[in-house]
Amino acid sequence: MKNIMKKTSALILGAVMPAAILSGCGSGSGAQTAQTQAENAEMAAPAAQTESAAEKTLTFGCQMYSDGLINPASQTNCAWNCMRFGVSEALFKFNDNMEIEPWLAESYEVSADRLTWTIKLRDGITFSNGTPLTATKVKESLDWVREKGPDGSSNPQKYLEFDAEVTADDAANTITIKTVTPYVNLTGNLAYPVMAIIDVAETSDFDSGVIGTGPYKVKEFHDQVGFDMIRNDNYWNGDVPYDNVKILFMGDASAKANALRAGQVDLVENITNVADIKSLQEDSSYTVDIASGVRCGFTWMNQSGVLANDTLRQAILMAIDYDTICSSNTIGGLYTAGFSVLPSTLAYGYDKLTNPYAYDPDGAKKLLDDAGIVDTDGNGIRELDGKDIDLTYVSYENRMLNDFSDAHTMYLADLGIGVTARYGSSDDQWNALVAGDYDLNNNNWTTVGTGDPTEYMANWYSKSGADYCAYQNDEYDKLYEQLLNEADTAKRADIIRQLQQILVNDAVAIVDGYYNSSMAYSKNVGYAHIHTADYYWITTEIRPAD
Amino acid sequence: MKKKSFFVQYPVFTIFAVLALMIILAAVFAPVICGDRDPLKGSLADSIQPPSREHIFGTDKMGRDIFTRVMYGARISLSATFILVGIVFVTGTVIGIISGYFGGIVDAVMMRTADMMMSFPGLVLAIAVAGILGASIPNAIIAISVVTWPKYARLARSLVLKIRHADFVEAAIVTGSKTPYILLRYMLPNVVPTAAITAATDIGGMMMELAALSFLGFGAVPPAPEWGHMLNEGRNFMQSAPWLMIFPGLAIFVTVVVFNMLGDSLRDILDPKEKAR
Repeated sequence: MKNIMKKTSALILGAVMPAAILSGCGSGSGAQTAQTQAENAEMAAPAAQTESAAEKTLTFGCQMYSDGLINPASQTNCAWNCMRFGVSEALFKFNDNMEIEPWLAESYEVSADRLTWTIKLRDGITFSNGTPLTATKVKESLDWVREKGPDGSSNPQKYLEFDAEVTADDAANTITIKTVTPYVNLTGNLAYPVMAIIDVAETSDFDSGVIGTGPYKVKEFHDQVGFDMIRNDNYWNGDVPYDNVKILFMGDASAKANALRAGQVDLVENITNVADIKSLQEDSSYTVDIASGVRCGFTWMNQSGVLANDTLRQAILMAIDYDTICSSNTIGGLYTAGFSVLPSTLAYGYDKLTNPYAYDPDGAKKLLDDAGIVDTDGNGIRELDGKDIDLTYVSYENRMLNDFSDAHTMYLADLGIGVTARYGSSDDQWNALVAGDYDLNNNNWTTVGTGDPTEYMANWYSKSGADYCAYQNDEYDKLYEQLLNEADTAKRADIIRQLQQILVNDAVAIVDGYYNSSMAYSKNVGYAHIHTADYYWITTEIRPAD
Repeated sequence: MKKKSFFVQYPVFTIFAVLALMIILAAVFAPVICGDRDPLKGSLADSIQPPSREHIFGTDKMGRDIFTRVMYGARISLSATFILVGIVFVTGTVIGIISGYFGGIVDAVMMRTADMMMSFPGLVLAIAVAGILGASIPNAIIAISVVTWPKYARLARSLVLKIRHADFVEAAIVTGSKTPYILLRYMLPNVVPTAAITAATDIGGMMMELAALSFLGFGAVPPAPEWGHMLNEGRNFMQSAPWLMIFPGLAIFVTVVVFNMLGDSLRDILDPKEKAR
């Protein structure tokens, strides 16, 4: 009898254990995620209670980038966090057509030589601590970010050079920026989140307590968990719909979707797996808002390693069936396939580009065979310089990047190229990229961060410091320098088209596709909107249901 | 009286031994069972198809046949588990015997180290170790070995201490037997049966821990068809395409149950206490 009891309990244990393992876990950073979710659950409970009171609370689930910190000068992700969470605002902003509009600024003038920019500030703006936004405050902020920039990785000099001189005229409420090199698009640069205007004199906790002009301000920061935000009573630009905003960091797309379904959050950004987004779209209790993509998912090919071989890179590009991947049930149309690093929807002449390395698996094999890159020892892997080709693939679980990496790996195996996966967090991916410690490195970038792709295209300009794949082409460099000095829009577009064609011809990157951003929300929210520019998540447009 | 056949005498053991053998054979002959299907090859055009005649377990995110991956997965899971159990059995037993026999400073150092390892929750420490070493099956085996050996060491040590000062051991020492001889001839045989039973009952648990590490991304790396890793791959589709998780989950469940029951019945046979009852 005792034995039967014991065996039954063993059976039950066997059945329960896998379930226990499942329920406790999130993504790659397992232990941390499980803990974070547990803490999230604790935080969500009071949120639900306050909802019944008169105070209006929005709970928002989002990915955690760079530990969720919001110091614009420390890391680009932090600058984005600061603006995304509704804390900071900039002098200019992008509308959904990626056109630049004044934000904290009212208007601007530029001299004929494009060296002197006079920006008139809007009247009556105050920071969330009540301090008025004056020209001097703006100057302090722009000076501060460039002074602190070198300590971090925000690279503010990419948007406003170190040598540029900012002068403030409080009486006229204008600032004047005198640059040494002419800027084509300084207003777009000043719209970038790194250049957000914050109260540097009175901010004491830059990591998590930045004082900005946005509709919400930080009440409390919970490390690895999220932010408690409250309404900025001094907000200058209309009503702020919520009294409180709770930002909860969520490990992965399914966690966000499940939190939304469970009522733990009202609003989430970027649910990135097809199954969840489809089920939310079909469910009338939720609204899904999708913005056409200006983000490009692409895999860097590190030319300082074995991928310095041109033929090998070309064959890799030809071996992958991009259309089938993007239309598969796995990716399900969340990406649009394409072969250039700039999305086909942007007006940079995608239609006029030619792709010499379209999907052609037999052609890819022939290319390698002809180049003598063959499998001589019969292990299924081709050799280069006597060694099996084994590429290290760095990737992370966001916006389906791991799925793309898996798919690429499968196609490359068919070609006879070995791939070793090294999947980790977004920080692991970034560090590997900057250190050049990879062969293939998959990521997803905003392409027109400052309104046009100049900054993004610097990724392949060998003198930019952002050329993380050791690519070097003098023709590209020359053309890129031309772009930096060209003010005419049509001419710029044509240069950008030529730059794209060079990159396509040189087989610099595996393009996953162009990503469509999304936001999903429950009936608790009346309206929310995901912007084309990825910098604006928590805005005053998001309002509670009536 | 004619002596009953061993297998008739122990029907539970026999049943589970046959089942375990079947699982092992399925792993060994996976290529035969699956025909020319490759667990690593698929077509994105066929991704996430429900079970059908062609793919009896359906297909996964990369359009690979899940049945094939589950079968090949048995190879990874079983071999990794056996290696893991072998490692902790050997190292734990050896350390335990040495520690128990020599005592003193040797014992103190080894056992305090063991205590240190045991003061952490096993899987959490294993995650830390695997995280530092980087994701791979060998590293996962190392990680779990590091946290599991003390169990065997303490067991072996206590068994050795029981007979350390028994008359026959003292007699062996007095008559000039060499230490290695005593360890091998008297200590080891006294320890192995109990340690072996523990190892047999541990197989299921170890398999779960390996699968857990892979599920968390600290074990098998893609595209390896490892069951825990397959669970993780299917996680996002739990509601819309449950077959992505059901079949690898079922494989873990069945295998763990079979090996647990096998270990249990083996203990029922070998454990003198159970016999006496």
